[in-house]
Amino acid sequence: MTGQAFFVLTALADRPRHGYGIVREVAELSQGRVGLKIGGLYGVLDRLAGEGLIEPDREEAHEGRLRRYYRLTSEGRRALAEEGELRAATARVARARLGLAGGEAAG
Amino acid sequence: MNVDGPDLEDRYRRVLRLLPGYYRAHWEDDMVAAYLDSRVTGDEDEDDYVFEFGRPAWPEIASVAALAARLYLGGAGSPRRYFAWGQAVRRAVLAVVLVHAVQGLTDLTLLAWRRHQAGWLPAPLAGPVTGTWPVVLQDIDCAWIVIFLALVLGYHRAARAVAALAVAADLVAMLQVQSAGIMVRPLAWWSIWFLLGLAPVLAMAAFHADAPPTGRRSWLLAMPCYYLLVPVPVMVIQATGNQAWLPDSAGLGCLVVSLACLVHAPRALSRSHQRADSGVWSLALTLLAAVAGAWRVVSLGSYLRDPHLINVSLTELFILAVAVALVAPDAVAQITPPPHPRPR
Repeated sequence: MTGQAFFVLTALADRPRHGYGIVREVAELSQGRVGLKIGGLYGVLDRLAGEGLIEPDREEAHEGRLRRYYRLTSEGRRALAEEGELRAATARVARARLGLAGGEAAG
Repeated sequence: MNVDGPDLEDRYRRVLRLLPGYYRAHWEDDMVAAYLDSRVTGDEDEDDYVFEFGRPAWPEIASVAALAARLYLGGAGSPRRYFAWGQAVRRAVLAVVLVHAVQGLTDLTLLAWRRHQAGWLPAPLAGPVTGTWPVVLQDIDCAWIVIFLALVLGYHRAARAVAALAVAADLVAMLQVQSAGIMVRPLAWWSIWFLLGLAPVLAMAAFHADAPPTGRRSWLLAMPCYYLLVPVPVMVIQATGNQAWLPDSAGLGCLVVSLACLVHAPRALSRSHQRADSGVWSLALTLLAAVAGAWRVVSLGSYLRDPHLINVSLTELFILAVAVALVAPDAVAQITPPPHPRPR
């Protein structure tokens, strides 16, 4: 899973969001380090929808525009949990090897 | 809202026309809403001004162009014709990079030949490369070996980075030669740089995250096979003093692509084979024929004072046109959308 896909799935983990809402949430989650362009976002959304990890939730009219919200599917939740665990385990090993607090002994 | 002309929404929709129709049908309204949301400042006057006179930013246009390249040169899950385009461009790029890589191998062979010349071997026809920029150009040839291996083994980002450096170094070397006033027929040189250097590097955009893996074994095997079948006989012919029989590089390109078309023609013309892969190869060969033909045409200027060589070059172009005509219908069938069923 690419870094962008991981951030998008994480942005949708707590509640459904619309396109620009995902962009803002990803910027916040990454503390401004990941600046998703809309073109890039919809490339990721198209791929995740094709893999069955996200699906449309609802549409809402907002200032004359129709916002489409997306949510995680059960498959998406499972994929995000697995990827999150893998990344957390890697981070723990990295911290341990660097002798930082929060790391675990690597075998 | 500006009723007299296009507003920001119209301008975003115009940019989104870069994307394939099937994709726009699904995502365009959503993307436009996201773009417009991203431009809202909260200040009513400023928002009115931006929505009437604002324009899409260049990074936004670039991201749409990148998305369009990924969609038109489709990967897994793309509609059939876009997947065919993607596969054909990937194969054509690999073929061009293979030729560059084998040229690098040939340069290394000639270097070794000159340094450790066996007594029974005649001296190579080409003399040693001297001067800064010719040596740089030779080193660039060798860099294509790394680029080819990286592409085949799946290190696409590394391949793109090294290829961009190689093309940039080529550009600097050519600018240097041109500024020194020793470049003959600059238009031909720059056209060839575009056809065989810049265009394949840009087309490496087809090697994106959705692209299926390359057939590693076949492509790795292709390098020694092509080396033994083309440069080795060429070097032997040159070393035995029969180089007058050899076509120039552009002519050789035409003949090699023609031969590949002729080998593939029985599959392309047969109706019993699995169409998809044959059609993709037909499309890839048609693209390569276009490159080889353009290379031949821009190189014709070298022979304007020699009618015999002009005739030879035109014959090479004729052979290429006949050979590609055998596979082109199969290629066209591959990228033509299936007809809609007629209502009863």
